[in-house]
Amino acid sequence: MIPLTLALAFALVQRPDPAALNEAAMKAAAEKREEEAEKLWKQAAEGAPGFFPVLFNLGFFYFSHSRYDQAEPWLARAARARPDDFNSRYLLGTTLVNLDRLEAGLVEWRAALKAQPGNYKLMQIMAVNFSKGRYFKEAAEIARRALALRSDDPNAYFVAITSCQEAGEADAAMEIAHRAVEKFPDSARANFEYGYHLQKLGRSEAAMPYLKKAMAADPSYEEPFYFYGECLMNEDRYEEAVGYLRTSVRNRPDYVMASVTLARALMELERYDEAVRELERVLRLSPKHPQPHLLLSQVYFRMGDEDRAQREKELSQRLRREEPGIMEAPQGRPFRPPPAP
Amino acid sequence: MNRLFASAVLVFFSGLAFHLAVPAFPQGMISGGATAVPRAAPSGRPFPVSFVDVAAEAGLRMKFTYGNETRKKYVIEANGSGAAFLDYDNDGLPDIFLVNGSRLEGFPKAAAPTNYLYRNEGKGRFRDVTRDAGLDRAGWGNGVCAADVDNDGNLDLYVTYWGSNVLYRNNGNGTFSDVTARAGVGGPGSEWSTGCTFLDYDRDGHVDLLVTRYIDFTPGKTPMPGQFPFCTWKGSPVYCGPRGLPFGGATLYHNRGDGTFEDVSIHSGIRKAKDFYAFTAVAADLDGDGWTDIYIACDSTPSLYFRNNRDGTFREIGTEAGVAYSEHGGEQAGMAVSVSDFDNDGRLDILKTNFTGDYPNLYRSFRKGFFNDVSVKAGLGVNPSYIVWGTGLVDLDNDGWKDILQVTGHVYPEVQSIDRTEPYKTPRLVYRNLGNGRFEDVSAMAGPGVAQAYSSRGAAFGDFDNDGDIDVVVMNMHEAPSLLRNDLKGANHWFKVKLQGTKSNRAAIGATVVLRAGKLSQTEPVLSQSSFLSHNDLRLHFGLGDAARVDGITVRWPSGDVEEFPGAPADGLALLVEGTGKTEMVPLRR
Repeated sequence: MIPLTLALAFALVQRPDPAALNEAAMKAAAEKREEEAEKLWKQAAEGAPGFFPVLFNLGFFYFSHSRYDQAEPWLARAARARPDDFNSRYLLGTTLVNLDRLEAGLVEWRAALKAQPGNYKLMQIMAVNFSKGRYFKEAAEIARRALALRSDDPNAYFVAITSCQEAGEADAAMEIAHRAVEKFPDSARANFEYGYHLQKLGRSEAAMPYLKKAMAADPSYEEPFYFYGECLMNEDRYEEAVGYLRTSVRNRPDYVMASVTLARALMELERYDEAVRELERVLRLSPKHPQPHLLLSQVYFRMGDEDRAQREKELSQRLRREEPGIMEAPQGRPFRPPPAP
Repeated sequence: MNRLFASAVLVFFSGLAFHLAVPAFPQGMISGGATAVPRAAPSGRPFPVSFVDVAAEAGLRMKFTYGNETRKKYVIEANGSGAAFLDYDNDGLPDIFLVNGSRLEGFPKAAAPTNYLYRNEGKGRFRDVTRDAGLDRAGWGNGVCAADVDNDGNLDLYVTYWGSNVLYRNNGNGTFSDVTARAGVGGPGSEWSTGCTFLDYDRDGHVDLLVTRYIDFTPGKTPMPGQFPFCTWKGSPVYCGPRGLPFGGATLYHNRGDGTFEDVSIHSGIRKAKDFYAFTAVAADLDGDGWTDIYIACDSTPSLYFRNNRDGTFREIGTEAGVAYSEHGGEQAGMAVSVSDFDNDGRLDILKTNFTGDYPNLYRSFRKGFFNDVSVKAGLGVNPSYIVWGTGLVDLDNDGWKDILQVTGHVYPEVQSIDRTEPYKTPRLVYRNLGNGRFEDVSAMAGPGVAQAYSSRGAAFGDFDNDGDIDVVVMNMHEAPSLLRNDLKGANHWFKVKLQGTKSNRAAIGATVVLRAGKLSQTEPVLSQSSFLSHNDLRLHFGLGDAARVDGITVRWPSGDVEEFPGAPADGLALLVEGTGKTEMVPLRR
């Protein structure tokens, strides 16, 4: 308490300039005297409402403690004080996104990118989050810019592929996937991406060797097994599909879409008991997911147990209302983020 | 000193934002975020169909009113209405009925827009007979369905409104009478009804009536654009809903056979289904058991399939049967429905259209009453950037395989100020059935009438000029309708069937026809409503390819009787009267 009292007394008596208060606050924060630091920054801001370092540091202080609702007004003031500052714009954008204000966050990130047009990492983050905001075209454009900057980084390809695909630029996604597999021929992900896009073009025959190569390169990678299984499903080769789909869910036991697709394959084969077992298994791992219940409703219906089918339907509908965000992507492909740099 | 504490800012670049949650609150209109599935290699086959919009020269000049033209304050202003092809005067030429809306601020009495009835005069010309027919009613109309309610040989009309619905009895002399009050099918007068379909669910020979409601809508109680998360779209304020607004419902009326109906919604089990926003209703024997079932396209909630329990009750089995959700279990914004047999396997399939960012559903029936959504596998995942409304699963090129025509258009007139890539007016879509379970997008080859951009809603399918191919009438928001004349070239043959029930209801609503010609066996139902809140020509149209005659026809009547009819030469219209076993060819007027 003594240092706090002294610092406050000093501040009151001397009316130091905001830079000095900022220095004192930083020192206090570095020494884990966080309450004192907070008060000093606020005092400095009162004396100099437009003094950027104080506004930014206090915003960052809250941000670093995940106190996003408190961080937002200070970072917003910092961004107003210095509109071309990259850090305040970036942090304000991230704060807003964390507050579920994605649209406002994207606006700030756009400004941050304008401040540092060559910031590759921000481009990647923006490409992913712009897609979440359904600004698919902008996401694709940014991802392509990032790829042009760093064509040696496989992650740049993968983000660009996903962004272009989501923007409906299938040809561009395909072309980038092709370049990726040529540049990184032993990469499981690159082989998977190219195989996946060939499959979506309806060229299952061409896709399957790449998906197989991806499976061989990384037998623990769930997606090639899933989509290879889907290729087989599209050719009505349900028996074979079951094996690959089983591997996919073994690799990632909570991969609900693979599990549900496996259940669908088993339903096509009229192996209803096995379908029930698979769906109940994945429900033990993802009990709040409505999809396995939905499929269970269909399996029981086909088995003639309409009352049980009805119960599963109602459960599926209730879960869907409770957690609307739980559903995976419509195309059945959960986004696989690139590893952190 | 202006030092920054945040020297570690860049630490936060380490993938932090990759793991952010999806926003918790859904926007009002469900949109799946689906992207275009790449197209398969083109078949290379020419498409002999060319649609030309001949509405103006045919005399269809009605202007469609439906809320504010430039900005929609409430969802009631956005959805649009249906159209009908029906031969109201039994002269053999399909006439056109168009449902009109209104606007929130109303109109001076004399200027209020009305529905329109256009009489087909032959030679491609129509005459406005709305007033003479007694159909010049103003109000906020939505859907239309037709059937012969009193079995007198004249098609009657039912029109849904935001307000009281109306049943028009066809007097058989070119006029209609409003018999709603006596029939007891107007509803409470405050509801927003959308879909309707006649059906004979209890096989008593009298058509009953199902009416759907979209939302429980009251302007003063409905929030304004941007007020809640469900009043936004892509982050911009737009009208609210349907999500977040009170649900609609469905009502089933039983026809007593004496001109009156009774509400049997509770007894029949229809009322057990809850929490949905309902649009188009279709009644057909979906599981092939000889009893008429009901399918309802629902917006942003699971669609509904009421299976007929054959005892006057229904059980809702949409989820169980596989026709409630997308292939991957997502809720969708269902708008329109078409029912036919796209793969000629003898079972009726269901085509449903949805909002932008989503695919349509092609629910293929693979066993009695079990369906799989094969839309993407069938090649229909290539155009998810359109909001698709009216739709028809019809044979456009007479090759014996059902093709698809769809009309599109956005719901927000200001949409391009929100996302410049999404226009309000968009072109029509045409898919050719390749006969192998797949379709290909041939919109670019289907003529100028398909390429034109409108914000379209209802679409009715029929052969208005009786030249042996399917034409389309389309409702366009705030504009005149389109009449897409199919100028089909080529030598493919065709055949039309008109059913007349005797034990069954006279218009044979709910019948299923199986027609055999050459190597193909085609199955087609008689529907009272389909597409988007619309009514198609009740004469069933079959393309025959190079088959010069029909080998035989089986009719599964709604009475439950199954009757065989002999074949006939191609390129004509056959009248099949229940119980006669005779195929009577009827001349076609042009």
